[in-house]
Amino acid sequence: MLDLDRIRQLVEMMVANDLIELSLRDGEVEVNLRRPNPKSNEPVLVTTPMMSPMHAMHASPTNSPPVVDGKVPGEVVDLKHHEIRSPMVGTFYAAPDPDSPPFVQVGNPVGPSTVVCLLEAMKVFSEIKAETSGTIERILVRDGEAVEYGQPLFLVRP
Amino acid sequence: MFRRILIANRGEIALRILRACHELNVETVCVFSEEDRGAEYLRLADKALCIGGPAPRESYLKSDRLIAAAEVTRADAIHPGYGFLAENGQFAEKCRACNIEFIGPSVEAIKLLGDKASARTLAKKNKVPTIPGSDGVLEDDNETIAIAERVGFPLIIKASAGGGGRGMRIVHDKTDLLAALKQAKQEADGAFNNRDVYIEKFIDRPRHVEVQIIADQHGHVVHLGERDCTLQRRYQKLVEESPSPGIDHRTRENLCAAAVKLCKVAKYHNAGTVEFLVDTKGRFYFIEVNTRIQVEHPVTEMVTGIDLIKTQIRVAAGEKLEFDQRSIRPHGHAIECRINAEDPDERFRPCAGIIEKFRPPGGMGVRVDSYGHDGCRVSPRYDSLVAKLVVHQPTRPQAIRSMQRCLREFVIEPLKTTLPLLRRVIAHPDFHDGTIDTGFIERTF
Repeated sequence: MLDLDRIRQLVEMMVANDLIELSLRDGEVEVNLRRPNPKSNEPVLVTTPMMSPMHAMHASPTNSPPVVDGKVPGEVVDLKHHEIRSPMVGTFYAAPDPDSPPFVQVGNPVGPSTVVCLLEAMKVFSEIKAETSGTIERILVRDGEAVEYGQPLFLVRP
Repeated sequence: MFRRILIANRGEIALRILRACHELNVETVCVFSEEDRGAEYLRLADKALCIGGPAPRESYLKSDRLIAAAEVTRADAIHPGYGFLAENGQFAEKCRACNIEFIGPSVEAIKLLGDKASARTLAKKNKVPTIPGSDGVLEDDNETIAIAERVGFPLIIKASAGGGGRGMRIVHDKTDLLAALKQAKQEADGAFNNRDVYIEKFIDRPRHVEVQIIADQHGHVVHLGERDCTLQRRYQKLVEESPSPGIDHRTRENLCAAAVKLCKVAKYHNAGTVEFLVDTKGRFYFIEVNTRIQVEHPVTEMVTGIDLIKTQIRVAAGEKLEFDQRSIRPHGHAIECRINAEDPDERFRPCAGIIEKFRPPGGMGVRVDSYGHDGCRVSPRYDSLVAKLVVHQPTRPQAIRSMQRCLREFVIEPLKTTLPLLRRVIAHPDFHDGTIDTGFIERTF
């Protein structure tokens, strides 16, 4: 069901009817299509683990902000990757301390409670957990770099 | 002078502060919620970073995130703007504890003057007139009668936990007092689950007049004249002007002197506004102090020629005021209209959406402070103020004529705004005569 033609048809239907969100499930695959900016024709394609029946939402007069994984409008993200995003503003540290090896490296497996990094703000260090399962595919920030809220830190392949 | 300032706000005031910083050669860091991502004014900042989700409590009210943002961008000061955390003493304290200057008064001054009850006590102690009242919850009927006789009639019974005009009863005569008290208590109980009420002298048809104060950290406190903000709708200001057309010279002098005195004893520094009610006989009563910069500050800037935001930044950086009371000479007349995205036909329900056409007016003495532009998003999450339109002319009639012209020129489409209402208000003869009071808009329109 998840072939490109079908998805193209769904996108066209959304634009023609000015829908901003469409979710549907076919077997084990679920697809959510959302148009964060009703003016653009680029939907954002993401998978969600939740199983919900097909439903559609009509465009509201207000512009709903891109919430699902906070993706930038227009970006089509590979269905297979999950992003670990920063829940706060702070400085990213890859390792527990300067003398230790990093918490994770590319290729490491992670589970929901695996600590992947530290974020420091106001002299307080917070351990950030993966909250997903998979393998670290890419590390998106450098040690000591300032990060903002919602900034992607790691790409995880489920 | 600071090297870099973080602006802990959004919309028009963030833009205003940005502009002042750039003219002072100070670098700027702007913060934004996910809702404000992509806002045009953010492009003007040297850095911009996301601090949270759309709701204010998820972003602009998160003091730890704001301070963290200042830390990671190495900002040395935070300007809180107005609203959000601007009058939050704990936030100011946290900033300074982290070695980040808070552009505003001291924590002590915020707590002393920001609290209505303690400000009132300080005012009374310093012989600044306050509204006579019970100064506390009414216990028994005998006490109430005694207080009422002292306060005088007409008086108003108000719910302590109250707001929105509920749990209020005006009493004109002693004989009605106890019955009105019983009713007010019942209403308060029903509306707020709290029967506590207090009494205040009722000021009929008051004008709202406020004094702009600016002070440095070297003990210099000056006033920049008053603003008349009588034109309100449900306690929200709609039009402000300076000087006030409804007070005489002596009242002006006394008001301003009282405001300066209060700020001096509170050891105030930075910008602040002292609010008063003025009755039909020219008697004034202290209400409260706003320990921050206000929305309507441009009105004062136009008549004095003093940039209040730059002055705020300078005094926060430890500089002395460049002017003293004698060198401040307000001239001409300025009027500001607040243009909100609200539907006047739907009880001023806030409107959100995209402004497709934004055509502000121009010309001599015309100033528009706004984050608006063609294609600009107005979010339902934050206040509905879209633009502040300010005119400055040599006389009040000329300022009114200029404002009328500007309101006609101003186009904001397709969102509904308060522009049509403002056009009618500014054209009204009572506004021209200056014979309005705080209830005028609700009664007339």
